[in-house]
Amino acid sequence: MEKKDLELILNSLPTLTWNSLKLNSTVFKDSIDLNGRGECIIHNIPSGVIIGSEGCDGCERGRDAVEAISGAQPRLKPSLFKEMKTGMGPEAKNFFNKYCHETLSIRAMCTASADKPLKINYLPGNEDGYVVKQNITAEAGSNLTVIMDYSGRPEDSGFFGIQTQIFAAEDSVVNIIKLELLGRNYTHFENIGGVVGDNARVNVIQMILGGGKSYVGLNMELSGYRSSFEGNVGYLCLNDQKLDMNYYMGHSGRRSTSSLRVEGALRDSASKTFRGTIDLKHGAKGACGDEQEGTLLLSKDVRNKTLPVILCDEDDVEGTHGASIGRLSAELLFYMQSRGISEKEAELLMTKAKINTVRSLIKDESSIGKVQHYMEEAFG
Amino acid sequence: MEKERTEVDELDRSIYDFRYEEKDFYRVREGLTEEIVLEISKEKNDPEWMRKKRLEALKIYNELKVPDWGPDISGLNIDDIVTYVRPNTAMKGSWDEVPEDIKNTFERLGIPQAERKSLAGVGAQYDSELVYHNVKDEVSELGVVYTDMESALTGEYEQMVRDHFMKLVPPTDHKFAALHGAVWSGGSFVYVPPGVRVDIPLQSYFRLNAAGAGQFEHTLIIVSEGAELHFIEGCSAPKYNVANLHAGCVELYVGKNAKLRYSTIENWSKNMYNLNTKRAICEEGGIIEWISGSFGSHVSYLYPSSILKGDDSHAEFTGITFAGSGQNLDTGAKMVHIGKRTSSFINTKSISKAGGISTYRSSVIITEGAVDSKASVSCASLMLDDISRSDTVPAMDIRTDRADVGHEAKIGRISDDAVFYLMSRGIPEEDAKAMIVSGFADPVSKELPLEYAVEMNNLIQLEMKGAIG
Repeated sequence: MEKKDLELILNSLPTLTWNSLKLNSTVFKDSIDLNGRGECIIHNIPSGVIIGSEGCDGCERGRDAVEAISGAQPRLKPSLFKEMKTGMGPEAKNFFNKYCHETLSIRAMCTASADKPLKINYLPGNEDGYVVKQNITAEAGSNLTVIMDYSGRPEDSGFFGIQTQIFAAEDSVVNIIKLELLGRNYTHFENIGGVVGDNARVNVIQMILGGGKSYVGLNMELSGYRSSFEGNVGYLCLNDQKLDMNYYMGHSGRRSTSSLRVEGALRDSASKTFRGTIDLKHGAKGACGDEQEGTLLLSKDVRNKTLPVILCDEDDVEGTHGASIGRLSAELLFYMQSRGISEKEAELLMTKAKINTVRSLIKDESSIGKVQHYMEEAFG
Repeated sequence: MEKERTEVDELDRSIYDFRYEEKDFYRVREGLTEEIVLEISKEKNDPEWMRKKRLEALKIYNELKVPDWGPDISGLNIDDIVTYVRPNTAMKGSWDEVPEDIKNTFERLGIPQAERKSLAGVGAQYDSELVYHNVKDEVSELGVVYTDMESALTGEYEQMVRDHFMKLVPPTDHKFAALHGAVWSGGSFVYVPPGVRVDIPLQSYFRLNAAGAGQFEHTLIIVSEGAELHFIEGCSAPKYNVANLHAGCVELYVGKNAKLRYSTIENWSKNMYNLNTKRAICEEGGIIEWISGSFGSHVSYLYPSSILKGDDSHAEFTGITFAGSGQNLDTGAKMVHIGKRTSSFINTKSISKAGGISTYRSSVIITEGAVDSKASVSCASLMLDDISRSDTVPAMDIRTDRADVGHEAKIGRISDDAVFYLMSRGIPEEDAKAMIVSGFADPVSKELPLEYAVEMNNLIQLEMKGAIG
């Protein structure tokens, strides 16, 4: 059993602010056992979707996939996945390149349609250290839905890192649904990158419920005309869980749109950091970006940090952000109590309601069941 | 098809951009050394504790790094800056006694006229020292002290100054706070006794006339329990081809159930590096209100901060920033909630045009003990062309569940829908656009005293051309 001593700078902001806030980036320092144990089960492969799997140097496979469609997208370089930026930043990407145990290359042909989602289950067990990469290529006009879940027993410990890179060619639609239901003592890296072409859409739904320490980053480059990204993130942090998030939506395509909604709750001594950046680059005329965050605070020892950034280098654009952070409002509590619902029950109800706003976007029954089961277990 | 844009003129700076030659002024040589700091201290007849404080601050300055965030300040070289320039006059209590050139300067800026019409007291600083200071008798009779910092340092309020000077903004705060601690000169000291309400404002006006100089005035205001004060600060300078530096420091102490409004119209010239630090601390039930208009400077780092120490204390920041050609203005506010049931409200507007860069930066910290506190942040930015830039970087750190924090931000151009709405109600297009832009700045201008609101509106000369498509 060989442990790796890691010191990585993760989730760096694209622009810096006061260092005293400790929000510019996160330093990850830990000794982790990357033993390669863990299991990946793929099922429900839709027609028109090709999956390749290989060992450590998976990025080469991703390159092949892009080369195969390079005729359709001559603007894109063959080394797209290699050069693609990811939300957790370059040090995280190097980590994945160096320690990856398995890479999946998922390629949706133009005949692929979303009527049947591709399902991938990662099963990191107790004391496993498992690092995987996925390179997803959606060819022009294709439609792909991928549901991934990473489940473990609540008492499990270990490390699970997953990097998902997405290239959505013109007119394609990519739906990614990620359920993170790892054990309470798991450390989790979730590193997402994407490039979205003309009229293409990438939708990401994330339910971040498990894990002891979760580091999540997303970098979506909206480079195509009318390209769009929609992100919906639901999270629940209990006990001493730590969640560190960094989302970046870069608009360079004209009339590109992005929307990010992050809803969740913190209880006990949990802490969460959310960084969200809308970057409206020069030339992205008609682009719109929106971020909305709602955080419910349920215990006196919780800690919430939020930094929503809008960078604007173009006038014919619109960037908006809204955040609401706090406990249940007195009015709402009074309303509930006047109907016989106790404060505790009201908190539970509203927490579930927050999570459910994101969960309700998932159309897969078994995934919904897993989230529900997890919530019931968590709240006893 | 490209949309036409509403044209907004550059600020008219001709009223500020004039200068007089220095005649027999005393100035230290350029740069920052222990020798220069000691020379300033000697020239100002500092008490021993202040001399030591300056040297400690210099040591800290040399240890600290320049910020690695925010606008580029590599064009500022402290070795080229003259940190102390004393006009050839002592401070006067009558404008008639002020040397002609200096008096003319302030008359062209409208300070004596404003004093006669609407102010309870005025301090006028020219380069590094105050040249005029006066307070109305009826205000003095209430026990209000409004004097220059040097007088306060050696007079009957020395202990009070010693107890408060750079305690709120210690030299360790950042590199330019340390610089200020080492070379500060000029500024005002205000003390308002318990229960005294000063109904008409006091004003300090800072004019930096010397090329390649720095201004480092220190403003210390103590508003005692149950007292009220409105203090106005104005500043301007003529434009030179060399960098000028402003690293002032404002420390405001707001007592129990006291109220202080601090208004600033900042109009430095476009060669100015404005690295100013302003901070207030509020005791139980105290209220601090910041009104801030940032129009000048080449580079600005300006974030007035409020420490809500006492229970039920409250802070408000209302600000507008106009970044034009060659300007990179990084402005905003900081709120720190410590007491129970504290509340804060930030409302800012920024306009960017002609390649100007405007950044809104803020932080709201709700500490563990600040239960039942509320904070609200609202920032809006208007982009008037596609060669300018506008960023918002608002941070929130909440360490208790018993808090409510709301934030909203918006960046964009003048809304087509809003123009259409007004036009559909019979308002001509040109008027509709003018209404939207003036309405955008309205939350700030309506908070200013009338004369300053007029000045601000004059600064933003609006000229509507063409249509917005």
